[in-house]
Amino acid sequence: MRPASGGGTGRGALSGMVALGAALVLAAGFTGAACAAQPGPVIRSVRVVRPDQVRLVLSSPLAGTDPGNFRFTETAAPDVPIEIRTVRVEGTEVVLGMAQSLDPAGDYRLEVREPPLERRVRPSRWALLLTVVLSAALINNFVFTRYLGLCIFFGVSKKRDTAVGMGATFTFVMVATGTLSWMLHQFVLKPLQLQFLQVLVFIGVVAFLVQLLDTVLKKTHRALHERFGIYLVLITTNCIILAVPLLNAAADAGPLESFALALGSGAGFAFALFLMSCARERLELARVPSSFEGLPIAFALAGLFALAFMGFSGLDFLR
Amino acid sequence: MSSRAESLRITVSMAVACALGAAVLGGLYVVTDRHRQAAELRTERSAIEELLGLDSSAVVLEIRQYFEPQQCTVVYRLLDGNDAAQQLVFSLDGRLQSRARPAASGAEGLMPLGRLFLARHDGQLLGIVVEGSAKGYKNRIRFLVALTREFEIAGVRVVEHEEDPGLGAEVARPTFAGQFVARPASDLPALQVTRDPMPEDWRAALAELQRVPAASWRPRHQALLDRERRRPIYAVTGATISSRALTNGVRATVDHFRRRWALLEPYLGVRT
Amino acid sequence: MSAPVLEPRPPSARELILNGIFAENPVFRLALSLCPAVAVTTTVMNGLVLGVAVLLVQVLSSLTVALARGRIHPRIRIPVYTLIIAVWVSAIDMLLSGFVPALYAQVGLYVKLIVAFAIIISRLEVFASRQPLVPSFYDALGMGLGFLLALVSIGAMRELLGNGSLVGVPLVASKPLLFFALPAGGFFSITLLMALFNIIERRVESRRRLAAGAAR
Repeated sequence: MRPASGGGTGRGALSGMVALGAALVLAAGFTGAACAAQPGPVIRSVRVVRPDQVRLVLSSPLAGTDPGNFRFTETAAPDVPIEIRTVRVEGTEVVLGMAQSLDPAGDYRLEVREPPLERRVRPSRWALLLTVVLSAALINNFVFTRYLGLCIFFGVSKKRDTAVGMGATFTFVMVATGTLSWMLHQFVLKPLQLQFLQVLVFIGVVAFLVQLLDTVLKKTHRALHERFGIYLVLITTNCIILAVPLLNAAADAGPLESFALALGSGAGFAFALFLMSCARERLELARVPSSFEGLPIAFALAGLFALAFMGFSGLDFLR
Repeated sequence: MSSRAESLRITVSMAVACALGAAVLGGLYVVTDRHRQAAELRTERSAIEELLGLDSSAVVLEIRQYFEPQQCTVVYRLLDGNDAAQQLVFSLDGRLQSRARPAASGAEGLMPLGRLFLARHDGQLLGIVVEGSAKGYKNRIRFLVALTREFEIAGVRVVEHEEDPGLGAEVARPTFAGQFVARPASDLPALQVTRDPMPEDWRAALAELQRVPAASWRPRHQALLDRERRRPIYAVTGATISSRALTNGVRATVDHFRRRWALLEPYLGVRT
Repeated sequence: MSAPVLEPRPPSARELILNGIFAENPVFRLALSLCPAVAVTTTVMNGLVLGVAVLLVQVLSSLTVALARGRIHPRIRIPVYTLIIAVWVSAIDMLLSGFVPALYAQVGLYVKLIVAFAIIISRLEVFASRQPLVPSFYDALGMGLGFLLALVSIGAMRELLGNGSLVGVPLVASKPLLFFALPAGGFFSITLLMALFNIIERRVESRRRLAAGAAR
């Protein structure tokens, strides 16, 4: 009975997280101002297909095919249009040849003068989300390249079981903290110009969530609490849990990016813990010079992992 | 003591402690923030003066550029000291819509497009510094590009970055950033980055930039500059991505500036 | 050591400070608060700035807790400690950003993260909440100094090997081992310094044992 209820809550928690993510995606979809109304033929999709080519797909063929009929700008510089050299029409598809090279991962806006149409051109939200998650987990892994959360990292990576438990608990709390802190920052601290209370508020959120989870788990799911309870307390002293809200606040990130950064950093920490625990279990059997026993050799191991993780750098998922 | 009274006491004391902490921080913030802003302004001004080789007689005018998404207009605010003295509003097709003292100094609902700094002396333009940023290897790289009045690059200075020390961070040093000096703005669109090794004489000359200002450095290396001006930018060894990022950022910043300047210049009353 | 006594003699200021620097060095012995020890120690100056920030936060929080000793409800002591630390960290953060912006730019994020450093809260819990003001001050000072010295020594090693300079003054024309300035190099620097610390400690220990044996 116990394990079944434990699995149930696990699934419940998972679906909760998915719902949270979906809500954030929807919220992100509604932000973005429009400069012109748009009746008539509809733009189905616009993509940067080559560094110098943009392909747009319409619902019906377009009449005006003069380069002057189009305006293509970077979202960050809406007042300086990028020159369009050629316009090629293929049925309902139009291919624009650009005078300068574009970034396939960039954020652009396409406007059509006649009939008035406009569309934001950027990689799909899911691609962006995936990039942020993977870059936080691998390229900028918080443990191996930003050196955060090391105390916990060396403390609980001795055994694989504890590493997995800590990783799972941490990822969950990280996502919850990241989301709640983002909301507080965006809707309370920023409008009231209380940014100087950031540290106080974010650590308060962490302490509050940890305490809440601890109490709720103890009352409702004993088995889960017995397994993960001890890790909950340790989370308060993990720098990553505080670093992610601070980084999000500094970058003024949107809901989706904040969620992705929290998820990615949590997953990255869990991954690092898992790798390290596997290696350290083996290390138990190795003969280590006596002055290197214990922590020093663990640090050397972490250094080797950090070297390996440098291999991920320069990876770009959108190109 | 009953448990309810106890939990009430706990709640109240916690709330009092929080309020006390917040009050202390609030007070401290008011005191230190003024200092921080003043220090920021000072470092910025000295960076501009160094980049353009200005003396104390020069007057620096700051222009803040914004985009207004509701009406689709571009707003230029000319700052005199800390107050916005004048505001120019252009439509997207480049027509001047209004020219007045701004009603509000805040920037709510406006999207910032970066800042410009004009150095003048008796209405004569001495040089321009443009603020720009680029997505670096790790995070954003913020930089300043200085242009002489002949629209040649007087210098590029990285003001903020998070690149790896010893690798990407090298783009902030004169041995990389100095390569932009003396290139005409009109050459930038075709500027490329190469992974070829940098010639030793050029590296030695650039290393001098660490100690001497660009203005007095240029005449001494005229032959070298003439040769290198036609060549691409040499990437930092092991940091091609950071090198490309900064080069592309400088190129885009100068390109945007040139097109905005064409609109703005007639209304500024400076002789070039 | 001496025979056990019922009422232990309160440790002297010197003992408390040396304890923080050597026997219970937060970085090399307790292995607490390691994040900044690797992250910001690419140069001596960075290590110094963060070390001073931690020293100040540790001393100020310890003093606050020692003063409020007995008035903090035991059930909410951890949140209260966190609050006290967060206030002092924010204060130091603001002061640094206001008065030394150039240095602060390098270590900004890590100064804020001092809140989550296990070493500070553990000293509050273990020492300052039970001891009067003066010993708490010396204990905090010792711990802070231990942390500062650890950071500076790692910074010196990495700056010298990675950049060929010390406190910004170039000593070697080239960069001898760029590796030590990189993330991975930070881990290896700590490995080497920790092992060195172990060796020295073992030497001292065996000498003391020899001396004790001779005395007997």
